[in-house]
Amino acid sequence: MMSTVLEVQDVASGYGEVQILWGVSLRLEEGKLTTLVGSNGVGKTTLLRTVTGLLRPWKGKVLFQGKDITRLPPHERANAGIALVPEGRQLFTDMTVAENLEMGAFSRRAIAHRRKNLERVFDLFPRLKERQQQKAGTLSGGEQQMLAVARGLMAEPEVLMIDELSLGLSPVLSLSLFETMRQLRAEGLTILLVEQNVHMALAISDYAYVLSEGRIWMEGPAREVAAREEIRQAYLGM
Amino acid sequence: MLAQILASLVDGILLGFVYGLAAMGLSLIWGVMRVINLSHGAIMALGMFGIYLTFTHLGLNPYLALLLLAPASLLFGFLVYGVAVHRIINAPYLSSLLATFAVNMMVIGIGTAVFTTSLYNVDFSLGTVRAGVLALPGTRLAAAAAAVLITAGLYLFLYRTRPGKAIRAVANNRAAAALMGIPPAQTLALSFGIGTLLAALAGGLITTFFPFTILSGSGYQSKSFVICVLGGLGNPLGALLGGLILGAMEGLIPIVLPVSWVPVVEFTLFVLILLIRPSGLLGART
Ligand SMILES: Nc1ncnc2c1ncn2[C@@H]1O[C@H](COP(=O)(O)OP(=O)(O)OP(=O)(O)O)[C@@H](O)[C@H]1O
Ligand SMILES: [Mg+2]
Repeated sequence: MMSTVLEVQDVASGYGEVQILWGVSLRLEEGKLTTLVGSNGVGKTTLLRTVTGLLRPWKGKVLFQGKDITRLPPHERANAGIALVPEGRQLFTDMTVAENLEMGAFSRRAIAHRRKNLERVFDLFPRLKERQQQKAGTLSGGEQQMLAVARGLMAEPEVLMIDELSLGLSPVLSLSLFETMRQLRAEGLTILLVEQNVHMALAISDYAYVLSEGRIWMEGPAREVAAREEIRQAYLGM
Repeated sequence: MLAQILASLVDGILLGFVYGLAAMGLSLIWGVMRVINLSHGAIMALGMFGIYLTFTHLGLNPYLALLLLAPASLLFGFLVYGVAVHRIINAPYLSSLLATFAVNMMVIGIGTAVFTTSLYNVDFSLGTVRAGVLALPGTRLAAAAAAVLITAGLYLFLYRTRPGKAIRAVANNRAAAALMGIPPAQTLALSFGIGTLLAALAGGLITTFFPFTILSGSGYQSKSFVICVLGGLGNPLGALLGGLILGAMEGLIPIVLPVSWVPVVEFTLFVLILLIRPSGLLGART
């Protein structure tokens, strides 16, 4: 039986007078890896900001586990189990790796699971374990991305949303992070992945949405979307 | 001569610990929420009168009275945050300058109505401590020791406790902190409360060796600005070091120049640092 964890209904949003999203709807099914792809500047980050509450929608609703959370402030949404690994990582650069992970587990729901999650992220990213006392701002780009993902996992999320998993990372590290996503998906985590590398994203995902000019242009099982002629031409360069 | 210089230097540095403590409050508030608290001096004056009232009317030892002043000023800080700062926290700097200036005017206005602007003092002494050529007032030594203890307490709080770390996270990246479930308003209110507490306690310590009026805060507030620029605004430990530098200058300058030149030299330095090294001599933290 499939159940929807998070649902975005007809959301419009933007900055100041500029409208970016023009009625976007999407659903995240429990335990599935969903991907949201689209060219630069179409509004992927804007959509994630609306889902986390950093941005208020102009119209439309965000439902989480069936409840309307459209008016909930971001920290309450985090307490409810929505975690975002933001674009540009947004680490606490003046704080240590260990402190960043501790802050990741700040919410009421996460604090009880802190031990278990810390072991888990150190398992996934042994590098971070070695660098626990280092300031996050002094980590390499790849290590920072590992920390950003790890901090998101520390939140004991019901939904983990990742904005640009592989941007700026070496192919080897990107591959290993995609592998991590697959592993988390196998463990039953619900994931929304926003990714520049459309090919990889479609390859590991269950379901895909393609955003174009602030609207969902196409959606479907990832394999079917990957096979569509328009997608192959526009995003996969084939 | 050398003995006199040494005595002035030590005297100034001891005073500098208290200046540093006050400046830390200003610096913390700036570092966490990018608000220049223009009610800083008025709050120091409230701290002074808090100690005066408990000492004169309740006969309370000033150092014990600090233990009462601490929670009272923390609550007062929450109140100021809630009433004057919270709503304009994301507005341009001018709004928060005006809002905290308004609080300053209200406190000074009410304070003047109650206490007038006459000079008060807390008639309290711990005798004189002699060490070689030095003869130091006990209250200055005690105030410096108290300032060090309070600073250590602040650091333990910021680096070892959950709400303390939350304050550092919010200072570092407020949006990311909210994404972690850290409540922004509560954390900012707490930071403002602690900044207020530091200012009030510094004011309280000053009463044990200097007389004061309800207007005295403004002079100390200016010193706090100079210190923050010395130490790097937003860096509380830098503020303590900046306080020591300023204290040392206040001790030494009167040896070569009339006392009235002290602020001139201080503010010349202030402007020079702003021009040459705007991040502060000791470097600002975000
Ligand atoms: N804070 C902001 N203020 C004004 N406009 C913004 C702001 N943030 C984003 N925009 C604009 O909104 C549009 C959508 O931006 P958004 O970041 O959502 O795109 P994106 O799909 O995530 O792009 P990318 O793939 O490059 O990350 C862009 O045109 C961008 O310039
Ligand atoms: Mg983006």
